[in-house]
Amino acid sequence: MGILPQLILNSIIAGAIYTMIALGFNLIYSTVKFFDLSYGVMMAIGGYGVYWLYKIIGLNLGLSVVLAILLAGLVGYLADYFVYRPLRRRKASTMVLLVASLGIFTALQAVIAILFSSQFQTLSAGEGKIYEVIGGAITGVQLVILASGLLIMLALAFFLNRTRFGRAIKAVGDDEEVARVVGINTDKIISFVFFLSAAIGGLAGVLVGFDTGIEPTMGLNLLLKGVIAAIVGGIGNIYGGVLGAFLLGTVENFGIWQISGEWKDAIAFALLIVFLIFRPQGLFKR
Amino acid sequence: MSNTGKAIVGLIILVLLVIGLAYLGKASQSSAPTTTETPTPVVETGPIKVGVITPLTGDAAALGEFVKNVTDLAVEEVNTNNVINGRTFELVYEDGKCNGTGGANAMQKLVNADGVKIVIASDCSGAVLAGLPIAEQAKVFVFSGTATSPDLTNKSLFFARTVASDNGQGRVLAEAAIAHGWKKVAVLQESSDYALGIYRAFEANYPATAGTITKEEYPGTTTDFRSTLTKLRAANADALFIDPQSPGTAERILKQLADLKWSVPLLANDIVSGNADLITNHKTRLEGALVAEQGTASLPKSQKLDADYLKKYGKEMIYRNYAQAQYDLVYILAEGINKNGTDAGKIATWVRTVKDWPGASGLVTIGADGDRVGGHVLKVIKNGKAELAS
Repeated sequence: MGILPQLILNSIIAGAIYTMIALGFNLIYSTVKFFDLSYGVMMAIGGYGVYWLYKIIGLNLGLSVVLAILLAGLVGYLADYFVYRPLRRRKASTMVLLVASLGIFTALQAVIAILFSSQFQTLSAGEGKIYEVIGGAITGVQLVILASGLLIMLALAFFLNRTRFGRAIKAVGDDEEVARVVGINTDKIISFVFFLSAAIGGLAGVLVGFDTGIEPTMGLNLLLKGVIAAIVGGIGNIYGGVLGAFLLGTVENFGIWQISGEWKDAIAFALLIVFLIFRPQGLFKR
Repeated sequence: MSNTGKAIVGLIILVLLVIGLAYLGKASQSSAPTTTETPTPVVETGPIKVGVITPLTGDAAALGEFVKNVTDLAVEEVNTNNVINGRTFELVYEDGKCNGTGGANAMQKLVNADGVKIVIASDCSGAVLAGLPIAEQAKVFVFSGTATSPDLTNKSLFFARTVASDNGQGRVLAEAAIAHGWKKVAVLQESSDYALGIYRAFEANYPATAGTITKEEYPGTTTDFRSTLTKLRAANADALFIDPQSPGTAERILKQLADLKWSVPLLANDIVSGNADLITNHKTRLEGALVAEQGTASLPKSQKLDADYLKKYGKEMIYRNYAQAQYDLVYILAEGINKNGTDAGKIATWVRTVKDWPGASGLVTIGADGDRVGGHVLKVIKNGKAELAS
């Protein structure tokens, strides 16, 4: 097995994970215009949801995954309903909203640690199928991650561009005041956006959990990578986020070919800095 | 600022001033030398406050969990059976987080806020190394049942441990690699003092004449090892030495090795071999893997510890070698207090005279350098269990 095919596959797998995270993050950011850090904990909620329902309670796997995704979505909705909406009504600045989201992130992460301990847990039961593709190895779970990332991208693109509700979301993102004036129920739209993006984050958490395991602190690192992908791709642009995610995955995985693997995160942030300096708008404009 | 806001801020400042003045007054009173009075010996009574630093959160929390369980179990026995002549242990737990910052913060809090004179620092070596200077300055005795880095040997007269240095672990694994004729060894090491200590000992005992080492390091937060493993694989190594600090990263490395279909002879440190769940989960991948562990005793005392642990916590004890050393630590500390009172300096000196002390981990002897005397043995993983290598 050659190093090149495997590095290409590793880049694609990493890119697919970052894609899902970037898509959810982009959706929130382009609608409410603040860095929602609590989005990171939704991944842990998804992962631990499946752990609880499937491994502890013993529910069917498919049902556990669906319920865990809905649970993450519900938590996202409740975070908006009880925290962000009252703050928005008080015309709170984006800095206040960011700090509030950090509070939600930290509190929920602590709750997960209290409920399930801080120990690393695996979701997969036994060794799954491994496929040989272009001379490298890829697991069944990783193929599902790849397919899910691309499907969510297509579904979101269709939903936002071709449906009335999706266009209403874009209208709120463009100007919330004007959207309200023309009769759009902005609170309802924003709540739905929080639900949907948290559910996407939850799905990402479930899939990452099956691939590399779960722990309460899993969200922050994934969130940062998703944010980098979104900024590199052009924040608010669906296709840009996907391209940014695959670019980040590729740069990270090929970067450590020549330098030590411990610099992987440094490579990701170096890419971010390069883009912020030379192309702050990202690969694509919104 | 509104008038109410100003009033609240004013009130807070006033309260802080009053507290500060009261504290200063007390401090000057206590520091004033009393030359006329002859000091009377103080008879200590009441519980003895002992700090415990162990990782309670993060990837290494699995280590902290068994440390806490075993410590609580031993302290409960000591307190119930009146081992310290009418006094009891009162434990104050702090999260060392398995890193330098966490270890230093935990030690600061225990020494300065809780005022303890004895700290059981059974955390990762990095956390203990960072906290030790703070304890030494405050003349606090630090006793560890888990920190094994060679860097801790002779580090301070106020430090001792019931576990041996990892010099032995690295040496035994290097000797095994040479004996197997492995000319190229790939090493995947976590960036931590514990893992680095083992690697250094391995490197020192695997000379260039024996073969070459290709090493990759990773931070403890790493979840994706695929490309690092791919890179190590491309080096065409005869064996892979996995040198993690936290069980979570060990689990991920083993899973991703299987995902990449890389079959290579494995060497591993005792983070892998001491975790029964991990060995069971990766039974196939670990079959035949070579590990070096401190000897695990199977004496009546250690069997009783196994049974009591299972009864109290409803699960098997993991990392038995460390757990036994931690259990013995509590009893040795109790004996030290019986003989020396709570004087940290005296306990630190006395503990270095402990010789052939019969514990759950076998006969404990602590050398003048503060390390437990004893070595590591080579084991091989067979059918999901680490057995002595023939």
